[in-house]
This record gives sequence, structure tokens and C-alpha cells, in this order.
Amino acid sequence: MSLLANPLVTSEQLFQRRSVGALPIEIQDAIFFATQSLTQAAGILLELPQSVTAQANVLLARYWLVENMMADEFSVRTLLPLLPPSPEANRSQDVSAAILYLTAKLSSHPRSPRELSAIYSYLLSKSSPFFRTQQLQNLPKYVPPPESHYQSFRPRLLTLESRILAALSFNTHVALPHPLAITYLQSLDFFCHPRREALARRTIAYLNTALLSPQLLYTTHQPHALAVAAIYCAARDLGAKMPECEWWEVFDVEREELGFLVVGMRSVEGWARERLMVEVPTSEGGMITRGDVERVLREREEKRG
Amino acid sequence: MSARPKSRWADDEEDAALEAQRKREKEEKKRQKAAEKARKLAEQQQQQAARQPQQQSQSQSQSQQLEEKHHSTEEDDANGPPAKRRRLSPERESTATATTAPVIARGGVTVAVTNDDRKLLRFEAPPFGRSRSVEHYEKLNDIEEGAYGWVARAKESATGKVVALKRLKIDANDRSGFPVTGLREIQILKDCEHRNVVKLLEVVVGEGLDSVFLVLEFLEHDLKSILDSMPSPFLTSEIKTLLLQLASGVSYLHAHHILHRDLKTSNLLLSNRGLLKIADFGMARYVGDPPPQNLTTLVVTLWYRAPELLLGTPKYGREIDLWSVGCIFGELLTREPLLQGRNEVDQLTQIFSLCGLPTDESWPSFRRLPHARHLRLPPAPKGQTTFSLIRAKFPLLTTAGASLLASLLSLDPAKRPTAEEVLQHEFFKQDPKPKSEAMFPTFPSKAGQERRRRRETPNAPGRGQGMAEGGLDFGSVDWSGIFAGRDKEERGGGFSLRMV
Ligand SMILES: Nc1ncnc2c1ncn2[C@@H]1O[C@H](COP(=O)(O)OP(=O)(O)OP(=O)(O)O)[C@@H](O)[C@H]1O
Ligand SMILES: [Mg+2]
Repeated sequence: MSLLANPLVTSEQLFQRRSVGALPIEIQDAIFFATQSLTQAAGILLELPQSVTAQANVLLARYWLVENMMADEFSVRTLLPLLPPSPEANRSQDVSAAILYLTAKLSSHPRSPRELSAIYSYLLSKSSPFFRTQQLQNLPKYVPPPESHYQSFRPRLLTLESRILAALSFNTHVALPHPLAITYLQSLDFFCHPRREALARRTIAYLNTALLSPQLLYTTHQPHALAVAAIYCAARDLGAKMPECEWWEVFDVEREELGFLVVGMRSVEGWARERLMVEVPTSEGGMITRGDVERVLREREEKRG
Repeated sequence: MSARPKSRWADDEEDAALEAQRKREKEEKKRQKAAEKARKLAEQQQQQAARQPQQQSQSQSQSQQLEEKHHSTEEDDANGPPAKRRRLSPERESTATATTAPVIARGGVTVAVTNDDRKLLRFEAPPFGRSRSVEHYEKLNDIEEGAYGWVARAKESATGKVVALKRLKIDANDRSGFPVTGLREIQILKDCEHRNVVKLLEVVVGEGLDSVFLVLEFLEHDLKSILDSMPSPFLTSEIKTLLLQLASGVSYLHAHHILHRDLKTSNLLLSNRGLLKIADFGMARYVGDPPPQNLTTLVVTLWYRAPELLLGTPKYGREIDLWSVGCIFGELLTREPLLQGRNEVDQLTQIFSLCGLPTDESWPSFRRLPHARHLRLPPAPKGQTTFSLIRAKFPLLTTAGASLLASLLSLDPAKRPTAEEVLQHEFFKQDPKPKSEAMFPTFPSKAGQERRRRRETPNAPGRGQGMAEGGLDFGSVDWSGIFAGRDKEERGGGFSLRMV
């Protein structure tokens, strides 16, 4: 198997997302975006290289194509449970943290369960600016949770790690398009462009944004195609001159594929601005929780009947 | 179509462009070559980078990532797919020779269109999905049940296919969760595809996910069991066949940036048809070139461990696997492990008596190794080389054979041949020629029936001990006692190692 390739989603797996019993797709999308953003935020606070965090993002996308989204908690439940305490709520797991933990462990930047616990507790607290856009000055002072929080977090994390591995049949390989994109830029001589640094940065930004895309672009397309599409988007944004020929073919990307990816990559931000909070409004701002989703589903039910 | 397409942006500087054209044509080939080189380099770098996120230089700093997500909002059509353009590269299909394929150079943008390039980027990988249950297999018999490991012969119920099931060692008390060595073993086996590397068919799980099994293709023997039970040694022609296969497998691993780090006869499987496969990747890992500095020296089963590891080298590479290959070569000749040290110090003593004492000429960097500072060595006898010592120890080996073995057992890692060089060695070209695999003798399979004999060879280090990527703490080894002039240390070489 080529180390440059990723395993891709099958049409069956994509179909499953829309099957009966699955969450409404727009809610799945909102959860996906929010959780991937959470992973990114945690990666930054844990001082992990973006290559590690990005791999976690890709593994999470794969995991949720195999495992039902509502099977686990998307994040750590640090706030008082929004639902009445039930065994179900207590078993809630933390996908984002477990995958980031696993990916860091495989890299040369391992992080301990305790470090993860601390960072996620903070990100999900009322003091965190994560997913809060208003009144950032008035956030309450952060009070770390008691030790018992960690004592229940660690076993949850490790159990979930095993489940994730089994769901992915222990295949943790992720090929990222980022280094490819830089090399492509070089071979395209874009690096002679006066704004080559801006161009490279923007290309990488598109690739990072695509990690959050509810279209699951990293599971539907190979890294070389993602790299080419990101270059295309970036060059267009900056008005950099591209070859007039169908240069993407040199990199083995067809027009249709490129077109799809370009639309996909450029639409993430707008979608996030317009739809994200509409689909699942969180009760207190911050990260979407299972409780939020359950509440939205209940409200929809009530409206209908 | 062969005419150069008119540039979109060269219009306002047409004269300059025309003038530049001649120059560009001249440079075409140069540029094309550079582009191809860049692509090939990218492939290589990627192969490494894919395995080595830590070595990847991300041109993006952390804080930028989230900020950069805000794209400027564009007019609608900017979100559309790239506009249909004239197809300018149909030559691609018709060009037979990649090197003469057209290069389209415009405004400083050079694109090499070659058939080769297109092939380079055809990616494939199997899809992802859930692990199956171990219930799909029926156990036939245990092959090996050690302190930590468990391997059994089993049959896939649905197909009747015979496989080997290896249970991963998972310590329920390990506070860091699923062992990273197990993950590496799986990932490396998944990535490998070579006839001399054992094939991983799938990974299955037991109930409750507390046990994980590798499903491996089944091979009848391991080399250790055969050596233990065979009445007469391998013929030279057979040894050549085995060594060639071993070197070929190691060469594949090294070309793919994999260090095995536990090569020994019990980790080499042999089929009834004389096919050898490298197994047990429990110690293996991906390393880049140059290798990272922070690798643990606590690798390789003691008897096969290279001297630089014993001396605590801060960095090591493929050479350690070739030392092990040398030890295996010696073992194939005598049916006995070559260097059976009782501990690290004794191992080093035995190495020096077999290969000679290191000198500034034979191993210039020796003195700089961490544990070498604590050693006081007697002066090496004049004219004594590893080759002469090996020659004397294996009188029946041809000159070429002795030179191969001596080079593999070079104290200085830099003097050991690469696996690729081993494959090209004179030894294999001389008579007797390597025996064809099909003509290989068959042995009664222990694995096929009852349990393989439990052997008294030491284990790979750190197994089940929650091995940390640190270093061997020589403080915990009682050097002084061992060097205190106990006569056991006075071995063949007629010297003893002393601590300063
Ligand atoms: N694919 C296989 N087919 C047949 N026998 C096998 C296979 N894989 C392993 N074995 C047998 O099991 C033994 C142990 O396997 P392996 O070396 O992979 O595990 P290990 O982790 O080293 O276990 P241990 O700690 O017991 O040595 C081998 O020496 C060999 O005899
Ligand atoms: Mg073994």
C-alpha cells in the first residue's frame, strides 16, 4: 500500500449516514464541524504540531463513518449534565479527546491522559472562549474540576481508544496533503511569485479548513487531489497567475474532481457562519453537547406532533 | 496542437515574451528535469513524512491555523469549478517517451507533463472498517505460549484457510492504554508487501475488546526450531538461499524506512517450500534518514544486539539489523547462537573476543560512545582483524563467506554492508550456488502438530515491562562486579574488560 494514500469511504458507509435511525444529516454536520474544531483547539492548547492534530481529525471522520455518532459523547462532559443523570449519561465518552490522545501517542509528541483531561475540561468550561463569540471579557474565572473528574475521565478515554481502534480495524495510517501541497507549489514555480509565502499559507489554510468540512473531504478524496484543490483556491484568492493549461492533470486530478473540491473547500466558512448555530443552538454557548442534540430532537418532535 | 498556446498574461509584454521564448525552450528540459526531481523527492519525503509527523516541517504555525480559516468572501462565480479551458495537454496520451513530453512554461510557471508523473500519483488503499471477531477462527493448536506471547495455528471457519493467530500483549494495568508497540507492529505489517515479510491478513478482536489478535499467514516452521532439531547442519547452498532471502526482506524494510530491531532465528519463519519470511515486528518502527536522536537502545534480543547499542549510542540506524544478520549467519553455520552473553557486559566481552578489540582505526568513533568511557581495554594484538579472527573460528567457510560474515560483524557500524550490498556479495556468486527454494529439504513441522519447544533464549528487551523510549541505565548493571577479575571473563581473546 502506498504511504501517500488514504483509505477512502465506501458508498455503503456514506449511505449509512442517511439511513433510518441515523441523526438528521444537518445535525450530524453541525456535530462534525464542532467536534473537529474542538480537536483543533485542544491540539493548539496541548502544543501538538498541526500534523498530529490533523491526523486526529481524519481518524475522527473515519470513525464516525463506522460508528454511530450518538454512541459516545463528542467531548468531555464537564458541565453539570444537561439531562437528568442516567447511566447513559455517565457512560458518555469523549471521541475528540480519545482520538487526539491516540494520535499523539503514535507520534513523537505523546500527551498523558491527565494533560488531555485538563485541556478538555477547560475548553468545555463556561470560562472558555471556545465557540463563544460574545462577552468574551465577562467570562467567569476558570475553576479546574475536582480530581474525581480525572478519575472517571481516564478509564473512559482508554475504553474509547480501544473502541476507536477496533472500529478502524487498527489502521491508524493517515496521509496528509500539506507537505504534498508545498512540493506541488514548488514544482509549479509558484514560489517565484512575489507573494509566495502568502500563497503557501493560504493553501495550508484551505487544507486545514477542509478538515472541518462536513462533506468529509479527507475521506472522499486522496491527499494529492486535496493539495491541488487547495492550491487552486489559494491562487484564485490571491490572484496568482496559474498556467493556462489544465495543470491539475499533471497531478492526476480531473476537472470534475477539482471542481467538486474547490466548491467544497470554499463553502465551509459560509456554511459554518450561516448554519452551524442554527442547526443545534447550544443552551449556554460553547461546545455542542449530546444534551443539546437531544433537546433539539425533542423540540423537533414536539413541533411535529 | 504542438504550437505553444498563447499566454493569457504575456500580452502586455509580448516582445519580451518572444525574446524570452528562445531562452525558455533551451531551459525547458532543465526545468522539466527539476520538476520531475522535485516530484520524486516529494514522493520520498512523503514516504518518510507519512511515518514521521514529528519530522514534518509544517510551514504553518499553530496560531495561524484558526485565524487563516477566514477566507475573503468572493463573488459567486469564484466558488464555481474552474472554468473549462482549452485542453492543452493531449500529447500526454500519445507520448511514448516520457522524457520528451511537452513542458508548458508560462509566466514563470513550469509544468512537466509526463506519463511517468501520472503513474506516480495513482494511489490506492483498502477501505476502512470495523475489525471482525476472533470467533471467525477456530483454534487448531498452540504453536508457542511464552511468558507474554501466544501464537496458535487456527482455521478460518468460513473458508477452511489455515492461519497463525498471534495475540497482542495488552497489559490491562497499563495506564497509557493500547500499547504503542502493538500499534506500530500492526501498522508496519499492514504497510509491508514483500515475499520475505510475513503477511498480516487482518486484525481481529476478542469479546469486550480486551484481546486483539493478528491474523498472519501460517508458515510451518521458525528457523530456531529447525536449527534445534536438525541432525546435521544446513549445507552451504542452503545457507546462501536463506541468507539471500533474509537480506532481501531486510533490504525491503530498510528501503521503506523500517528498522526491525529484533532479528533472530526464532523470528524468521520458513515454509515447507523453503520460503523464508521475517516475522515479529513487535520492536519495529519507522525511522527517517537520518534517524532521530531519541530512539531507545533497549532493543534487539541480547545475543543479537550490536555493540554500539550495548555501548549506549545516542543514535543508530539500519546497521543494527545487519549486525543481527551477521549473528544469524553464524548461527546457521553452527546451529548454535553465535554470541550467548549472560548480560550486557558479558555480551560485549564475547563480541570483542570474537571480533577483536576496537581500535582507533577499526572503530574511530568508539571512544565517544557513552558507556565506552567506562571501559579500559587492553591494547589490541597487532595484525589481528575481525576477518582473521572469523577466518580462524570458521575454517570451513570460504574466503568470500568469511569476508561477508566479518563485514556484517564489523564493530564499527559504518563498516557494515547494507542489505542491498549483502545481496550483491561475491559469496553468493561462487559455488556452491544457492539452492533453489523448491529443492529445499522439508522438516517435520512442530507448529503443525504440537506446541513448539519452549526455548531458553533470552527475550527481546522490555517485553511486557511497559518499555519506555529511554535508554538502558547502565547504573543498574553491576559492571564493577563483573569486571572484578572473575575468571569467567577471561575468554578466548585472553583479556578482560575493566571498569575505570
Ligand atoms: N505466521 C506464523 N506462522 C507460524 N508460526 C508463527 C507465525 N508467527 C509466529 N509464529 C511462531 O510463534 C513464535 C512467536 O511469534 P512472534 O515472534 O511473532 O511473537 P513474540 O512476540 O516474539 O512472542 P514471544 O514473546 O513468545 O517470543 C515464533 O517464533 C514462531 O515460532
Ligand atoms: Mg519473537
